[in-house]
Amino acid sequence: METKQDKPITPFKPARLAASAALGTLNEKYYRELANAKQEGRPVVWITSMTPIELVYAFDGIPFFPENYAALCSSRKIAEELCRAGEARGYSQDLCAYALCTFGVIFEKRGAFGDEGPPAPDILLATEGACATHPKWWEALQRHFKCPLIIIDAAYTVDSATLPEHQKAYYAAQVKEAAMSMAEATKKKFDTDKLREVVRLSDGVSELWDEIDAFRAAIPTPISQIDVFTCLFPMVTLKGTKDAVDFYKQLRDEVKERVNNKVGFVPNERFRLIWDLFPIYHNMRLLNYFAERGAAFVTDLYGNAFSGRLDASDPFGSLAKRYLSFFMRGASWGKAELYKQRARKYHVDGIVFHSNRCCRFSTAEQPDVGNILRDELGIPGLMFEANMVDPRGYDDTQVKAKIESFLEMLEARKYPKK
Amino acid sequence: MMVNEFYEAYRNRHKLAEGWKREGKKVFGYFCNYTPEELIYAAGIIPVRIRGSSENIELADAHLPTFCCSYMRSALDQALKGQYNYLDGAVFPKSCDMTRALYSIWKRDVKLPYYYFLPVPGKSTDAAVDYFIEELHLFKEALEKYTNKKISEQSLKQAIKLYNENRALAHELYNLGLRDNPPLSGSEAFAVLRAGLIMPKEEHNAMLRKLLAALSSVKGSPDGKVRLMIAGNTFETIELLQAVEESGGDVVVDDIDIGSRYYSAMVDENAEPLRALAERYLRKVLCPCKHPAEPRLYHMLELAKEYRVKGVILLTQKYCDTHLYDRPWLESSLKANGVPVLVVEHSDTGWAGGKFKTMAQAFIEMLE
Repeated sequence: METKQDKPITPFKPARLAASAALGTLNEKYYRELANAKQEGRPVVWITSMTPIELVYAFDGIPFFPENYAALCSSRKIAEELCRAGEARGYSQDLCAYALCTFGVIFEKRGAFGDEGPPAPDILLATEGACATHPKWWEALQRHFKCPLIIIDAAYTVDSATLPEHQKAYYAAQVKEAAMSMAEATKKKFDTDKLREVVRLSDGVSELWDEIDAFRAAIPTPISQIDVFTCLFPMVTLKGTKDAVDFYKQLRDEVKERVNNKVGFVPNERFRLIWDLFPIYHNMRLLNYFAERGAAFVTDLYGNAFSGRLDASDPFGSLAKRYLSFFMRGASWGKAELYKQRARKYHVDGIVFHSNRCCRFSTAEQPDVGNILRDELGIPGLMFEANMVDPRGYDDTQVKAKIESFLEMLEARKYPKK
Repeated sequence: MMVNEFYEAYRNRHKLAEGWKREGKKVFGYFCNYTPEELIYAAGIIPVRIRGSSENIELADAHLPTFCCSYMRSALDQALKGQYNYLDGAVFPKSCDMTRALYSIWKRDVKLPYYYFLPVPGKSTDAAVDYFIEELHLFKEALEKYTNKKISEQSLKQAIKLYNENRALAHELYNLGLRDNPPLSGSEAFAVLRAGLIMPKEEHNAMLRKLLAALSSVKGSPDGKVRLMIAGNTFETIELLQAVEESGGDVVVDDIDIGSRYYSAMVDENAEPLRALAERYLRKVLCPCKHPAEPRLYHMLELAKEYRVKGVILLTQKYCDTHLYDRPWLESSLKANGVPVLVVEHSDTGWAGGKFKTMAQAFIEMLE
């Protein structure tokens, strides 16, 4: 049996994006502003993903995403110690590693930059817009920081394409109520026009992101999955600012130029794959392992989770619609449908599932999503276990062996030897 | 002994349900104590709680990662093995991430004729109650469409009355635990209550009445057992309570989802039925998947005092996120209030009985 590629594997050196310099500047600026927030009288709001960040910018506040920060700790190789510190306080190792790592940061007063960590929140803002664990985690933060906690209850939608009016109304009313509570907590006046402006900027970011995402359908695909994950920072944290819009314009133009010039990030693109779902922050280089073998990720739904169009003429209604129709809240067949559409459009050969051990929310339906894609489109899947933040228990050798045999199987399917 | 009937009913739950089916009755399975069973009952359908077991998992691992709670894995496994084939439908209420995900997994992989997902708010504010009433209207309409028959106000009120009777009888049973020497042990009381999850309420009520009448004159004998409370979430292994008893303890009260959190709180029979249901389900002692969390702690402290317990066994299913987040806080808060706590992480499948018993023994010895 001869299925292995005969050519030796050359280490992968991706071409650097010009936009990444701008990303570094934005990052620096954000953390500087966060550190100075208290002096500047800007409210610091700790917020979960899939919570209307637009509210925070409408109050000229600074949002802080513990999830994003835990990812940073992971890439800086301090997440394991921080997670252990969370466990020492009685939190189970099975819990979301974003949360465990954050508990480590706040209990140990140890930050990602050798500092004492982020400033304490003035307000804690959470929803169940993503998972049911977010509000639980925020309740624990509230007991620690003893500041106001606002939970926006997100009624569940089975089919994210058809959002019932009464669910939308219930959510929109809570966003309004949250705005009033934030006004009280910050002693600032809530300004609907300001919210409209923030919503307009936020929508601009999502529009640009969707454009960039669409360019990934090009053959060869222009941008690496590592770049996509890295470039998500403004999308998550700065959505609603002009800085974010400017950054994604630059990125869009750069990606567009690569597509026009038929420049792919993998020199010899042999396979086109979907990545599902969370990055593995402590081992982003695993993505290069694919690239070295001619496999490029051309789409993922993780990045798109943060994109959602809004309508400045109906800020509350459109925020409700956007955050409630988040596809991951829907059933497996809805997610599979999104992948099916993309599989055709992006010319996909296979799907890779990161079975993220600490996240029931994103992994429970992965086997079924894989089964649907295999049964209905004949798209094979690879699944392996890791933890997005905590490197403990990750078996690199085993994961790489699985990747090797998956790619060999794809090779035999796509390029059969005559 | 009479308690055996309750054990037997639960053990034979699938056979019982198959019997009702042969009599031409409809049976729906449901998850979690956020399903307003009264509506299903009023539609002429017998609601039964979908349970797991402590059998080994054989088929579910192909559909659900192993790092999910053993309850959901086991329930799915039973269904994939065909043990739930008698169900005419299943209802999944929004509670934790698992119930949400399992809805789509069951719907795709377990071929039952009918499925319903019921959104349940995560808060108990007035706005949440109003919203939930709208969801209950939709649920009621869906059931009416399914049975092709209107649910009359009278039948809904009757169902509410029947369920309230069940809660009142359960309350009487809990009152036995207040005695210095309860006539039933913790495991026996648990077996009695657990049977109520899987049988029609009128039958459970009749059995409960008979049992309570028989027990009214029975005086428990002083056995010097250490009074305990069990709190946390669901478990199948009743051996756990028996192990406590063999170790010199007795669980006289609980705060678990198939115990007092299920049986407490009446539905207001004088209010508009759907409003009364919405208020009862959102304002009972909340499970950790709902907010805020503090009232449950206060409730546990009240129970500990009322039932004069010397300690709490805080039991959490492994991989149960919402309970695991509350655990360190509950443990330290109970201890700060002078209530000793034994923290146990539990899995129904592959239950380590010996290890638990050693822990329980040490805990009880410490309390004596």
